Amino acid sequence: MNGRLLLQTIRWNQSRLITLVIAGFAWGALIPTVYVSFSDALRELANSGAIPEQLLNFGSGSLFTLPGAITLGFQHPLALAFLGIFAVGTTTAAIAGERERGTLEVLLSRPLSRHALYLTVGAAVLVLLAIELVALLGGQLAGITIQGINDQIDLGYLPLVFANGLLLWSAFAAFGMAASVSFDRHAPALGLTMAYLLVNYFLEILGSLWTDVDWSQEYSLFHHFNPTEILTGKTDPMDFVILGIAVLVPVVIAWIVFPRRDLAAPD
Amino acid sequence: MESDQQPAAEPAIRTHGLSKHYGSVHALNALDLEVQAGEIFGFLGPNGAGKSTTIRTLLGYLHPTAGSATVLGMDIVSDSVGIRRRTGYLPGGIAIYDSLSGADALDYLNDLQGRPPVRRDALCERLQMPASVLKRRVRDYSRGMRQKLGVIQALQHDPDLAVLDEPTEGLDPLMQQAFYGIMDDLRDEGRTIFFSSHVLSEVERICDRVAIIRAGRLMALQHVDELLARRKRTIHLRWRDGVPDLSSVPGLADVKVDGDRLSATLLGEVAPFVRAVASPMLLDLTIEPARLEEAFLEFYAEDEPAEEVRE
Repeated sequence: MNGRLLLQTIRWNQSRLITLVIAGFAWGALIPTVYVSFSDALRELANSGAIPEQLLNFGSGSLFTLPGAITLGFQHPLALAFLGIFAVGTTTAAIAGERERGTLEVLLSRPLSRHALYLTVGAAVLVLLAIELVALLGGQLAGITIQGINDQIDLGYLPLVFANGLLLWSAFAAFGMAASVSFDRHAPALGLTMAYLLVNYFLEILGSLWTDVDWSQEYSLFHHFNPTEILTGKTDPMDFVILGIAVLVPVVIAWIVFPRRDLAAPD
Repeated sequence: MESDQQPAAEPAIRTHGLSKHYGSVHALNALDLEVQAGEIFGFLGPNGAGKSTTIRTLLGYLHPTAGSATVLGMDIVSDSVGIRRRTGYLPGGIAIYDSLSGADALDYLNDLQGRPPVRRDALCERLQMPASVLKRRVRDYSRGMRQKLGVIQALQHDPDLAVLDEPTEGLDPLMQQAFYGIMDDLRDEGRTIFFSSHVLSEVERICDRVAIIRAGRLMALQHVDELLARRKRTIHLRWRDGVPDLSSVPGLADVKVDGDRLSATLLGEVAPFVRAVASPMLLDLTIEPARLEEAFLEFYAEDEPAEEVRE
């Protein structure tokens, strides 16, 4: 790990981070407001049978309960974009992007091992993801307080929600880093990681909307980040184990592949 | 210079059978090389000959297929980080972070190097990179300015060994001269420079020894002076009323006579030739110095063209 590189990597993401923290906080704060405004109406709609209830769900989230709304806030495409920018964009650009631009040359001419480079960039991404998750959760907490609905959830579970969320996005970040160390160009690393993220997302959303294939959710990493279960005291430790494995596998692959790669001169 | 400099007897770079293969393509083939501490070593070859492959293998970007090498006494495979701690590297066609100013880029790279930038001010002055220029973002720099920044980042921390890949690429003639001056100073101070180039005149100008590489193989490794001494000089003379009989001059060949003009090549000592033509009949005499180009071309003219590999 290299402190100067860590600082510089975070600094390079500074303006992006500020924008996304503001956006994430605002989005988080909006969720409880939407929940308070629409949950009763949606419940009536579902009870009337006009629209099947599953169509009013989104992934593991819904607007029928506050924990469900919080989950919805994390699984909405907007949250996906906020966190994906770091988990996919920053990770894939970290090595493959530097390599494509030619700047990896001068970086690796310093007394910096490839493991140290990998660890440092990984740590920087972890910090960025953690800050963004805190912004999203902080926004939701602010919204819950503003709406005066604190009694509907046990706030003591929020650190567990944070840890679960960080594990999920670390899994995508680890995949992005593994792709980044494996390619000489940013586009293939980005494309592969985006595909991985979207397939997981698709499996989760598909299973929630079409109950005949709800088994597909089990194969989605998103399904193992479930604030609804955590906030209702039904945390499944297997979710953490599965996400832990999803982090570990690409980390091990990158750890082995990166130092062994031949880095030919850039074109 | 740090006190942990390698012992005098230890070569700065030593390779033994160093090879790098990409499938059937042999980018580097059993390279045996020794670069002594304190010398400026020229590494010559056309594009694709294996120059950058050698450098990249020495600095840990590429893994050798076979053979071994040490840099500053450290193994290139097991102690690559240690090597890079004591070297400065200018990659060919260097790219530096566009979003940073020149000064910030130098600070950043030097912080990562972990040694004080003791040479930066002098280098900036020599290469005409004042503070006003260094304040500008790298993206606004011309190619020559980027190259100068590349030279500064490679040398600012006063490395024990500088590895420079095509260092004058993009520099204007004035800056090339300034760069040569820096190299001269480094030589005087006992620094080791490993210098890759395909610009023969600059290798001739600044290097002590030169290795010529072709298709990944070492073709020659000599002092520049020795290499030049082995080359044929070109002679042109005008003689009053015909031309002299020079058949007894050793090393004279390729004699062509055109009226009162004679041209030939001369290999070896010049004195016997000069004695032979020292006559009032001599109207004009030109002896063109042997150029490294000729030595170089001789190594490349004979066999099949070098296999182009991506280095």
